[in-house]
Amino acid sequence: MAEPAIAAATSAEPLWGRAVEAWRWGRHNLDDPVGPLLAEHVLLSYASVLIGLALAVPLGVLCVRFRAFYAPVLGSVNALYAVPSLALFFLLLPYTAFSPWTAIIPLALYTLAILVPNVVDGLDQVPHHVRQAAVAMGFGPLRRLLRVELPVAVPVIIAGLRVASVATISMVSVASLVGLGGLGGIILTYGFARDFAAPVVVGIALSVALAFATDGLLVLAQRALTPWARDRGPARRRGRAARRRAADTTAARAGEGAAA
Amino acid sequence: MITFEGVSKQYPDGTVAVDNLDLTVPTGHTTVLVGSSGSGKTTALRMINRMVEPTAGRVAIDGSDVRGQDPPVLRRSIGYVIQQAGLFPHRTVADNIATVPQLLGWPKKRARERSRELMELVGLEPGHASRYPHQLSGGQQQRVGVARALAADPPVLLMDEPFSAVDPVVRGGLQDELLRLQAELRKTVVFVTHDIDEAVKLGDSIAVLRPGGRLAQLDSPERLLAEPVDEFVEAFVGYDRGVRRLSFFPARQLPLRSDVIVTAGETAAGARAVARRTGEPWLLVVDTGHRPMGWVSTETLAAAADDHDVAKLELVGYGHIFTVSTDSLRAALDAAVLSPAGRAVGVADDGTALGAVAQTELGSAIWAIGSDDEHSTAADGHG
Repeated sequence: MAEPAIAAATSAEPLWGRAVEAWRWGRHNLDDPVGPLLAEHVLLSYASVLIGLALAVPLGVLCVRFRAFYAPVLGSVNALYAVPSLALFFLLLPYTAFSPWTAIIPLALYTLAILVPNVVDGLDQVPHHVRQAAVAMGFGPLRRLLRVELPVAVPVIIAGLRVASVATISMVSVASLVGLGGLGGIILTYGFARDFAAPVVVGIALSVALAFATDGLLVLAQRALTPWARDRGPARRRGRAARRRAADTTAARAGEGAAA
Repeated sequence: MITFEGVSKQYPDGTVAVDNLDLTVPTGHTTVLVGSSGSGKTTALRMINRMVEPTAGRVAIDGSDVRGQDPPVLRRSIGYVIQQAGLFPHRTVADNIATVPQLLGWPKKRARERSRELMELVGLEPGHASRYPHQLSGGQQQRVGVARALAADPPVLLMDEPFSAVDPVVRGGLQDELLRLQAELRKTVVFVTHDIDEAVKLGDSIAVLRPGGRLAQLDSPERLLAEPVDEFVEAFVGYDRGVRRLSFFPARQLPLRSDVIVTAGETAAGARAVARRTGEPWLLVVDTGHRPMGWVSTETLAAAADDHDVAKLELVGYGHIFTVSTDSLRAALDAAVLSPAGRAVGVADDGTALGAVAQTELGSAIWAIGSDDEHSTAADGHG
């Protein structure tokens, strides 16, 4: 590597120099740790969010049908959310060893704190007259749920997914402490461990880029799934409010993720 | 025919929504359930499609108890129109209308065709088929609601305050449309409203329910207005029921004066001559197309120069007008009361002025109704 050139750049334009250095390091190591670890990051975060969603929908539906469940369910998912992720990873190690599940199980459970209230809010905001009309038209309970209530709740559920996926992408890195952190691995093993800035910058940049890309994909998914909500003021406002609420819940957790 | 036999609904907390209701809704007629809130009218309606189950008694359609059928299956055979339309926001207009045909498993193509047919029937442009409900006005949404209820051609149509969420002008239009549809389709309609005017306009018969869900009176609209059975019904139909009842008598029987009309371009001197000849204190000025422009008083005429165009004088608004061929005495009286000149302007279907009628002549016409009330069978001029 051209050490003198970098040193010169660092003293004149430190940020630019760092960026150039990181870009070179990243390109040079694309095949070995960067590419595979990025793929791992995608796998861990997407799997966690999807499993979280698969759990949150039935849980949310249950909470709407039987209101009494909502308080205890919400309490439990919030309590889970308060457990430091590192502790959960270590707790799972004896059972799942270094398989991806050690990271996926806690991360999926964390998404519930965001997704369950969003599923419930989404179903709650289905207007009463729409539900009544569905009953009166002759929808049975299951068909009504699948064909009317859940589709109408989709914008609010996707709003929650957006927050949950960004938070999860940020949190995956913590799992690098148990050897499963995707891009966190680059930061920890190649950066901090060797006191070398470039991998840290690459890890952060790719993590942020992945979060942006995922959010963009979700926005596209929402447009494709809910053409009816596109220019609809109230629904969009509701979506935004739900997202804001979810963002409040995640503030603390996101801090932890960023610290990793 | 829908029959209620000793039907009651008591909730676990002891509230009685419907109390021992006996009611027969004849096939092909519109029966309106009217009452204030808490009179159980919506509860009674919902017993027909089992959205509410009675705690006593029996509801039957054409003799067979509704409880003999699985609720979703039963509901697919009964049209239902709800307040605020209750359209599915995530489905296009065409898909909303095709809801019940889809539930019944009709082939896609047939359901689509049926949607198109119904949009035409309720007066929606075909271009609206692929729109979403929020892109429509309140009145259009309600039309979609009616089309959706009619999609599978159910013999029975339940309407729960369907027009109460739209503004009065649109409501009037939707009511007219329903009358037109019903004349064509002859469904067995049960219509719930708290608006006695709406009930009188739409109902072949009206059931007035009193708080606590008891039937107070079941009668034709004219009978209900002419002879309320007790003070409750009388108060409910309004102390102005005499005036409301005028809506059953056509305005075309009124003597219209066409000699009080002056056309734009006429001079003030000419108009003064007309006023002298007719002895009328107000003249109706019309434009050259014979449409009303406003009233001019003899005082204004007296102060004007001889060759002044009457249309350019200070005119008093003609307020609201009545259509001679289709409106009722009630509309004519209303127009006269609201007119600053104390005279109602009658127009032809094309909006051209036919003449004016003064309150005194209206008074005589109304008095005539009162005097031969005993033998009258005033059935026309509905609305």
